[in-house]
Amino acid sequence: MTLWNILLDTLTQGSIYFLIAVGLTMVYGILKILHIAHAAVYTVGAGVGLAVFRLTGNFWAALAAAMVVSGAVGVLIYRGVYFYMLDQPRIVPLITSVGLFLLMQDLLQKPYLMGPYQHAFPAQDVFPSLTLPWGTVPSAQVMILVFTALTLGVLYGVFTRTRLGLAWQAAAMDRDMAGAVGVNLNRAIALNFLLGSALAGAAGVLVGVFYNSVYATMGDVPSYKAFVVIVLGGMGSVSGTVAASFLLALAETVLLSSVGYVLPRDAIAFLVLILVLMFRPQGLLGR
Amino acid sequence: MTDNRQPLLTVDHLVVTYGHIQALHGVSLQVAAGEAVAILGANGAGKSTLIRALVGWVIPAAGRVVYAGRDITHAPSWERTRLGLAVVPEGGRVFRDLSVEENLRLGAYLETNPARVAERMDYVYRLFPVLKERRRQIARTLSGGEQQMLAIGRAVMRGPQLLLVDEVSMGLAPLLVDAVFDALQQLKEEGVALLIVEQNAYETLRVVDRGYVLENGRIVLAGTASELRENPRVQMAYLGGG
Repeated sequence: MTLWNILLDTLTQGSIYFLIAVGLTMVYGILKILHIAHAAVYTVGAGVGLAVFRLTGNFWAALAAAMVVSGAVGVLIYRGVYFYMLDQPRIVPLITSVGLFLLMQDLLQKPYLMGPYQHAFPAQDVFPSLTLPWGTVPSAQVMILVFTALTLGVLYGVFTRTRLGLAWQAAAMDRDMAGAVGVNLNRAIALNFLLGSALAGAAGVLVGVFYNSVYATMGDVPSYKAFVVIVLGGMGSVSGTVAASFLLALAETVLLSSVGYVLPRDAIAFLVLILVLMFRPQGLLGR
Repeated sequence: MTDNRQPLLTVDHLVVTYGHIQALHGVSLQVAAGEAVAILGANGAGKSTLIRALVGWVIPAAGRVVYAGRDITHAPSWERTRLGLAVVPEGGRVFRDLSVEENLRLGAYLETNPARVAERMDYVYRLFPVLKERRRQIARTLSGGEQQMLAIGRAVMRGPQLLLVDEVSMGLAPLLVDAVFDALQQLKEEGVALLIVEQNAYETLRVVDRGYVLENGRIVLAGTASELRENPRVQMAYLGGG
């Protein structure tokens, strides 16, 4: 593997990890709930995106629909389920979330939804591939990198420049106190789920197109890998999640290209997790 | 005591329980507009529970809280804040990883007029000049006293009609206690009603018009500040001997 390939692979994988994990981080930041069902929201996004793409042939319509539906599903999960567990010990929403994930994934495997098959997502060459002096960036990767760069910019702006972003930060530090200064927590948390879930839905579409494959259990690996990312990033820290996503992707790519497939890619994440928990249990950027 | 003023806050037979433990056993009290009222009591008397119920952090098992003619017993905290309540909670509870200025901005979260936000920030900086010096500093790096000042400043940013103050002197050096109570005195003179929950009866009775004594979740004594200061029971328990 050339250096260029390592870099490109790291950026692409890191982007995917980030898009999936950031919603989990945002939810954990405010509610301290490990929202495992987030990975099913990601699959819903991929499914909706594919359905709309088949109907319209338009990638942008598919991406938009996936974000809208996933965002709505996220809000529904909050208002319909977690909302009633906010005062319960944390194990209650955690177990609920695992149950919800299995329920949603089993539903998605029903023949009238996605069935037990892999579906192609043939939205290729939406973007032109990019030729740089060091090498070529294929179309699907241009799409992922552009979308991630835009998302990072928008998130940074929302968190640091808007009233809502300040309210989210405050609620992540002290939820009750944020309510007492006047933040409508019901609305702020619903919007938090809306944005995080919409990004997971977008990630579902991007991954589906990148691997040209969408299937009901595609959330399995992300469900635990996103968990690794938010632990590495320091539980609830958005900037930590950015760092952890790309560092994990870098570790995976470098190990695979130097040592080869001694370990499956997904096992490396847990190797990194164990090392971090041993030597820096507060996460990479956590305190 | 000037009872011709309209009651701004009426607490009526408030009962709060945590599991099977009853923390408040039917507490009733009133605060008029612009009036400063103390709740004195020892640790565990239920003072902080009372504040939590008034802010909306615990929902009472029975009783009513009426603010400016509206029943807010079950209202979420942000709606109470919208109506003109603000709180300086026990320990300050500043937003640790945000700057002093961001904390103050959050205090004025419901104020959409930027000119008024700037005006109130100037006011807070005049009240506590040290906050102005440290306005870019992250809140968790402030000293305990500065964090309490920031907590008061954040509450003042709301422009409240009624300020709830919970154990503001706890853990502060005497000089800082004076500074904090001077600030409360100034707020009172500007017409803000105060409900001050304190163990430090000496400083509190200097600022308030009236007070209640809370013991084991019940009001056991009520009177004007001077009546309470003269009361042997209060002297014994809260003013350090007789």
